[in-house]
Amino acid sequence: MSSSSTALRELQRDLENKANDLSKLQKDIAKNHQVRKKYTIQLGENELVLKELDLLNEDANVYKLIGPVLVKQDLAEANANVRKRIEYISAELKRLDSSLQDLEEKQHSKREAILKVQQRIQAGKAKA
Amino acid sequence: MGKPEMKGTVTSLSSVFPPEEVQKAAKMVEGKLSEKQSEMNQLKEFIADNTSLINLVQKLPDELHHDIMVPFGKAAFFPGRLIHTNEFLVLLGENYYADRTAKQTVEILKRRGKSLMSKVDALKAEMQDLKAEASFFDSTASEVADDLVEIREYEEDNSPERVSQSGPVELESPSVAEADNKVSASEDDEYARLMLRLEELEKEELAAEDDGENDEDEDEDANANATETETDGDEDEDELTEAAFHGKKDEGYSSLDHNQRYLESQPRKQLQQSKGKDPMNEEMSTKYNHQDLTNQLACTGLTAEPVTKGNYGGEIPHGRIVHQDTKMLNPPVNASVPSGKKPVQTPKSEFDSSKAFTGSIIEHTENLEKKLPEQKTTSSQASDSKPSKPMSRFKMQRK
Repeated sequence: MSSSSTALRELQRDLENKANDLSKLQKDIAKNHQVRKKYTIQLGENELVLKELDLLNEDANVYKLIGPVLVKQDLAEANANVRKRIEYISAELKRLDSSLQDLEEKQHSKREAILKVQQRIQAGKAKA
Repeated sequence: MGKPEMKGTVTSLSSVFPPEEVQKAAKMVEGKLSEKQSEMNQLKEFIADNTSLINLVQKLPDELHHDIMVPFGKAAFFPGRLIHTNEFLVLLGENYYADRTAKQTVEILKRRGKSLMSKVDALKAEMQDLKAEASFFDSTASEVADDLVEIREYEEDNSPERVSQSGPVELESPSVAEADNKVSASEDDEYARLMLRLEELEKEELAAEDDGENDEDEDEDANANATETETDGDEDEDELTEAAFHGKKDEGYSSLDHNQRYLESQPRKQLQQSKGKDPMNEEMSTKYNHQDLTNQLACTGLTAEPVTKGNYGGEIPHGRIVHQDTKMLNPPVNASVPSGKKPVQTPKSEFDSSKAFTGSIIEHTENLEKKLPEQKTTSSQASDSKPSKPMSRFKMQRK
């Protein structure tokens, strides 16, 4: 009887741990989602800027706001910068996507493990 | 005849969609909807600002310089001049600015306005979807509150499921009856045909009738007829019910007769059989093997009665009179009776024939009685469920 109760307690502790892990995973997934959103918005904005820059004449003045300073920039330079930024953001998004997938898989497996532990607990309770 | 094998589930909507969860889901959808609504409001504000800005930008170059009150700090202004009225430093996005003229600025602003409008349209579509979801949840919630029940029936013969939502108790019977129709069709048809055979046999006998038994017969007839009307219902109701109805009536009476053991009202039998003979014979001929008829005819002679009784296949009983008719009818009739019923019936007839020569009417009756109560239960349900159709017809023809 005592052995079964201790086993039961162990199982319950195990369940708690797994539940904590699961909640952590869920938080990570939520964060991932948020960052993804931000990056997606930035990507959209940068693409808009690129479009406008393409419409500019060659001799038009382009300024970049760096902190409180408005710095004059070359059109070509600005174009290049914006393009690089776009690439960087898309790469970040891809990375986030893959990490999100990993997190979701882990979450899934954690849920299954939790179910198993719960079943064992119930079986143990039924026996006792 | 066993109970029609039908699996069915009756699930109350409240179990499938627990009311609390439904309400939660409805609330969630409402929350999302309100979020989208606020986003929509913001976008609309942007669009309004954009248009006003376009107007301003278009007006500024009208003057070389404008006298304005320049904001100074948080809460101060001082009079000043707005010069270079055609030069605009436009924010392109991502901390990038560009010098543009008024016209060019207006173009940029217009493009921004377009993208905003497309965002608004997308939001509208999303909101519509959410609204549809919300309405669905609301309806489910109301249904759950009303204690509606979802009834599903799985039938062997016909694969399609029937899902009908109905009130708690009352409406169960029609769906159950309909299910019975389909599943018990084969079994009931067999029984019907057996009854037909028996009836015809008795017709030959011209036995004395008990009027008192007729009443009982009528009751049983009603049940048998009801079941059979329903069994035929799943097939072309229009076509078969009429033919079958005649058959049913006759069958019903014949079943009664069998119970009574050759006690029937001859005039009734004859009348009904005369009416329903053709359809009946058609049914019978199609259902039973012609060869069996001939064989049994050879055998019957004196043993017509027991054979007929024993053979629910009903091949011989009609024997002389009917046989000729059936022979005549057989070629023209290759009727609508589903072929599937044939194999079902033949084994039964074999079974019956073995019993027939034992000659105990009691056994016969027992079989009938066994079958009848089963049918009665189903038929009573069916008759209850479809009171109008079969009963009215039945009454019509009876009277």
